[in-house]
This record gives sequence, C-alpha cells and structure tokens, in this order.
Amino acid sequence: MKKFIDNIRSKPAGGILLLFCTIQVVAIIAGLLYPENFRYLNPANIAVLLKSMSALGIMAIGVGILMISGEFDLSVGTLYTFCAIVTATMVKEYALSPYLAMIIGIIVGIIAGLIHGNIVNRFTIPSFIVTLGAMLLWKGGTLLYHGAKSLRYKYESETYKTVLTGDIGVIDASFLWFIGVGIVFYFIVHHHKIGNHFFAVGGNPEAAIAIGINPKRVKLIAFSIAGGCAALSGVVAMSRVGSVQPGGGLGLELEAIAACVIGGCALMGGRGSILGIMLGTALIYTIQDLLLLLRAPGFYFEMFVGGLIVLAVIINVTIRKRI
Amino acid sequence: MSQLNYYECKNVSKRYGNLTALDNVDFHIGKNEVVGLLGDNGAGKSTLIKMMSGVVAPDTGNVFVDGKETKISTRKQSEEVAGIETIYQNSALCDDMTIIRNIFMGREITNLFGFMDHKKMEDLSLEVLESGVHISGIDSPLKEIGALSGGQKQAVAIARAVYFKRKILLLDEPTSALSVRETERVLKYVTELKSENVSSVIVTHNLYHAFQVCDRFVVMSHGKVIFEKNKSDTNLDEVTEQVIKV
Repeated sequence: MKKFIDNIRSKPAGGILLLFCTIQVVAIIAGLLYPENFRYLNPANIAVLLKSMSALGIMAIGVGILMISGEFDLSVGTLYTFCAIVTATMVKEYALSPYLAMIIGIIVGIIAGLIHGNIVNRFTIPSFIVTLGAMLLWKGGTLLYHGAKSLRYKYESETYKTVLTGDIGVIDASFLWFIGVGIVFYFIVHHHKIGNHFFAVGGNPEAAIAIGINPKRVKLIAFSIAGGCAALSGVVAMSRVGSVQPGGGLGLELEAIAACVIGGCALMGGRGSILGIMLGTALIYTIQDLLLLLRAPGFYFEMFVGGLIVLAVIINVTIRKRI
Repeated sequence: MSQLNYYECKNVSKRYGNLTALDNVDFHIGKNEVVGLLGDNGAGKSTLIKMMSGVVAPDTGNVFVDGKETKISTRKQSEEVAGIETIYQNSALCDDMTIIRNIFMGREITNLFGFMDHKKMEDLSLEVLESGVHISGIDSPLKEIGALSGGQKQAVAIARAVYFKRKILLLDEPTSALSVRETERVLKYVTELKSENVSSVIVTHNLYHAFQVCDRFVVMSHGKVIFEKNKSDTNLDEVTEQVIKV
C-alpha cells in the first residue's frame, strides 16, 4: 500500500490519474444504474466527448511542453485560428492539396513559435509579455490576412476526409490525432534526451548551464513545438467542423494552460507529463459532459472548470507533500 | 615542485571597472591534494573559482594544465580540457528530477536517435551511488532529488563529478546550507576523493572545517594571495589571524 502511494506521489500525473479514475468510476456506475436518465455510456455521448477534446488536447500538449521548459505561450489560441486560415486559403485560392496545405499551416505555426522564442531569448524578457503581444498580433494578423468573414473549408479528397474526419465506431479521427500526437511527444519528452533537457532547463536553469546545456536552444525547440501543435490543432478542428471563424480561438490558450495545470504541470516549469496533460484535457471535457448530462445550464460550465483547476492543484500539492 | 602541479595559474588579474578582483594571483593545485581557499568577503575567492571554471575570463595571466599552457574561456573547456567541476552551495541539480536523470543531465546515454537508454543509466547510477563516494540513506536512484537532504544532494553532485572522471572539484561554500552531521559527511567525501585521484579546492568561511580536511591553505585579501602554507607548517591561530587582518 505504501509503495502504491509512493508510486502515485512520485508521478507528476499521479494525482490527476486518481481524480480522473474516481470520476470515471462514479460516472460509469451512475450510467449503468440509470441508463435512461444519465446517458453517460450512450455511444452518441461517448462519440461527442471524444470528438470535442482533441483540438484543445493537441494544443495543450505543445503548451505543456513549453511550460515544462519554464515558459508560457499565450498566443496559441489566436495562432490556432491564423494557421487554420492559412491552410484553408492555400487549398481554396492556390488549389494546393489539403495535405500540403496542412504542412504549410504547421510550418507557419512552428515559425511563429521560433519568432516568439527568439524574442524571449534575445531580449531576455518574460515569455508572458512577448506572447501576450503575439496573441493580439496573430488576432489582428488573421483579420488583416482574411477579413472578418467566416471561412468554409471544403476539400474534394475523400481520403483526406477519412483521415481527418472519419470515425471507427465511437472514435473520431480527430481523437486519434490527439492520441497520436500524445504518443509521439510522450517518447520525445520522457525518453529522448531533449525531453530531459526540457525538465532541466525549466527546473533549474543555472544547473542546466553549469552542466553544459544551452537553455536558449532548448527553449527555442519548446516554443516551436508549442507553435506547431497550435497550428495542427487548428487544422484538425477546422477540418472536423468544416469552417473557421477569424475571431475564434481566443481564450483557448487559457484553457490549454488550465489543462496542463490540472494535469500536474508546474507553473514555474520543471514538472509535468504528457499523460497528465492529456488527462487534464479529458477531465475538463468529462466534467463539461457530466454537467450537460445532469442538465445544468451551459453557462455554469466555466464555473466548474474554475473550481476544478484549483481543486486539481490542491490535490497535486497535497499528494506530493513531503514529510 | 611545479612538475607536481596539475593546475597552475600565474599572474592572473581581473578587473571589473575600478575594482581589481584579482591582482597578479599565482595559484596552483597539486595532484591528490585538498586546498583551502580562505579570506574575508570580497577577497577575490569567488572570482578565482569562476575564473578556474571558465565562467569568467581573466584580463591577463597564464593558465597551465599538466604543465602545458592552456586557454580556458568557457565552462565547456574547463570541463573537457582541465576536468574541472564546480559544486556550489545550491548544487547544480534539479529537484523535480530523479537521481538518475540528474547524474546524466546533459550527458545522457542514448541510442543513435537520441533516445535514452534508461536501463543502462539506472545500472550506472546504482554503481555511482554504491562505489567511490558512498552515499548513505539513498536506496534507489529513482528517487527525486527534492526528496534528499542538503548533504545527500551535495553528495550526489560530488558523485556525479567523480563518475565523469573529473580531476579537480571546486567547492564554493559547499557546506554553508548543511546541518552539522551532513557537513561532516561532505567533508569526509572530499578527503576520500584523494584516493580517487581527484583534487579539491574548498572555499569556506569555517576555518575549523578547513583545518579538518585541507592539506594546504591559501588566504586571499583584496584580490591578492597574502598567505600560503602547508597544514604541517602552520596552525589554526596563524591562519585565523591572516584571514581577519585587514
């Protein structure tokens, strides 16, 4: 038992895993007991739940990696829209293949991340400030580039449709993208040496320097991952919905940070895990889903997310308290 | 005498604007010896340590490693050319990472694609923790650094330096944040290191600690070396007097 507790305590995702499992068990039991009134296990409900979390999840993975490295990116929400619009116009106006357009969109996101990182590195100003400015820049940039009209995203390719919007049973393609991105970054963050450097730079930058790691380079990589993930989540979401709103995306950056914090990422860096970030995202959407099933009015939702953030951090801190 | 010196710097000076931090300093570190670098605040000890570890470049002067003149101007050079590792009061470790990941931080054992070989790193960490500098109270290298005491942390930092075959350890106030018992332990490690062919330089304000472990004392004042004697040729009173005289 002690070993079990120690094990949970030592994992950054330990607390959130416990909370997530508890909520799932309660919801599943309630769903089995009252299948008519509480349709948690209804396939349609599961399908919607899985479908809705992927865009935020992909973005949160990038944001979380950057947070582990000790920096923030507040611009991912508006960058998400900007890159989606770039992708859509590549297809609509330049008749590029949707795959190529998607790659271009992601490259734009990565370049944006590199620009943010370079400014932070060169002028040693907080990334909070730099990306706060960038947030407004990309929002304005979207309007400048496209205008305020909503943009329909149509593509001819059937395969593209299947790859981005198809489904296997209740599992939507976008959810598989989320899982895929999660797996790729799980290996990078937890098993690749660059992942070790993310934690070192975020946890103790002086130690990283003393040991010969270049924090600027590591942070630059993390910024580019955050930008790339924001772009990918924008394209995935746009493909699923079939349109993109130039004013959309704003606010997503805070939800992504919330997902990371719920998932056990330390605000000051050096701590976090991909599993935690994914569970944090899933938890936000599970809570939302449960509230809808309980017929709570939609605008209460944010109140609960707010409570959840604080609760999750309390659990994370309590479970890690060293005696 | 000079053949025996592993590291030597001659006529080293460093100025910061009007302030002369190092004024024609001659300093050497022999093989298998522990040097106590003493002096009041602002004497230039920390600048000398920083110069030796490559963080600060001297304005004038020459550095010799193993008798050969060498230029050391970055942290990497001091590590690779002279085998120098610095251990600070707040050691260069990350609290939220495991002992293994700290030991191999920046020097991860990886495959061709940069993915880490966890098994190998864990085995070697166990070896590091068990051999050479024995660290008591650490049962698993999977423990997070944050869960260790101050003395254990310093011990891990020292063990890491030993494992990576460092020749010289520069310890800048290594015990100032430690309890009495932990201090004893860290000082014991330092003396044990001599048998591993590692020399150390200890900067400390505590002359009793210095007397416990050092073979030679160097006292600095206002950027100059004002006193240098082997332990056998001096006593605590004489060294104390040199440190406090203005």
